[in-house]
Amino acid sequence: MSAVSFALAAIIFVSGAAAGGLGALLGIGGGVFLVPLLNLALGFPIRTAAAISLATVIATSSSVSAGRSGEQLINLRLGMVLEVATVAGSLLGGLTAHLFSEMVLQRLFAAVSVLSAAAVLARVNRRNVVRDPSGDTGMLGGRFHEHESGGVVTYRVKRLPAALLASFAAGNVSSLLGIGGGIIKVPILNAWCGVPVRAAAATSAFMIGVTATGGAIIYYGRGDLVPLAAAPAVLGVQLGGWVGLRAGHHAPARTLKILLATVLVVVAVLMFVRSTR
Amino acid sequence: MTDDRSLELAVGRVLRIGITASSICLGAGLALTLAGADGRLATLLLKIGLVALLATPAARVVVSIIDYARERDWLFVLLTLTVLGELLASVVAAVYGRR
Repeated sequence: MSAVSFALAAIIFVSGAAAGGLGALLGIGGGVFLVPLLNLALGFPIRTAAAISLATVIATSSSVSAGRSGEQLINLRLGMVLEVATVAGSLLGGLTAHLFSEMVLQRLFAAVSVLSAAAVLARVNRRNVVRDPSGDTGMLGGRFHEHESGGVVTYRVKRLPAALLASFAAGNVSSLLGIGGGIIKVPILNAWCGVPVRAAAATSAFMIGVTATGGAIIYYGRGDLVPLAAAPAVLGVQLGGWVGLRAGHHAPARTLKILLATVLVVVAVLMFVRSTR
Repeated sequence: MTDDRSLELAVGRVLRIGITASSICLGAGLALTLAGADGRLATLLLKIGLVALLATPAARVVVSIIDYARERDWLFVLLTLTVLGELLASVVAAVYGRR
């Protein structure tokens, strides 16, 4: 094999590592960074970029969730309920992905990024947690130990229909754009449904593996999931994710939100500019 | 809320095994390809790695179904079965969507 393909594999690996690091830190899977890197910087068609990115989303979700198991930060029950909607959305997205043009998908990507940034910024100082370890969590709520404050955080899940709708949309967008969909679910779970940002991010990171699988299987069947490009991306994302997960324990929630919003706006602008060419 | 700690650990194990197996295959397949070794083995390893990756989340759904069935938590058996059914539907779509 030529030096060019070795270089390309190395570049994809590094892109994956960068995307995986940020993704794990923010609990959004990394696809939102990897798709623009593959599509805008490396020139892959957005459908191929989406397929590769979905493979890395599965890897990130699996390794991050495996690393977190036992911490009770992942709300398994809420995740299982929302997965019904999110996988249905990803199935629909996978089936309809070939109906959209490159330009439409890039603009959709830009729009999703901007909306998510706005949702995050609107609630940057809100903390919807009940600091009462014995509090009632309801059927789908949860409690976990928060490193930051050293206390036990308890929460209930409000507005389940909104969460289901957001999950369906997230699954749909996940398949179409190759992202995990966490950028839609995390803000809505956090802002509307009363789930603390850390639990929302952990639960979302857990769900996106199954979500991305629904779309990735369809892309794989169509031949869009190129093994030689997917392999370095998947391995790179895992390395980045491993680093990001450890850094995330020490970063305060407010900083995470502001960082997330800033990156999303930059991604949106880049995608929109490219779609107008 | 019922305590899902044991399920959380079981799911974590499945995910770790799946992602490790997949990464080893993908890494070996990639290394063989870049080293210019036998193309068929490299292609096979890459393919196995990708399939293992795609099967990992499905496997943890299966583990959840079994666990909820043991706890006789039928609502969650139904929910997780639905998710598995949706994944199977995407396999069907993939087979028929093949070009």
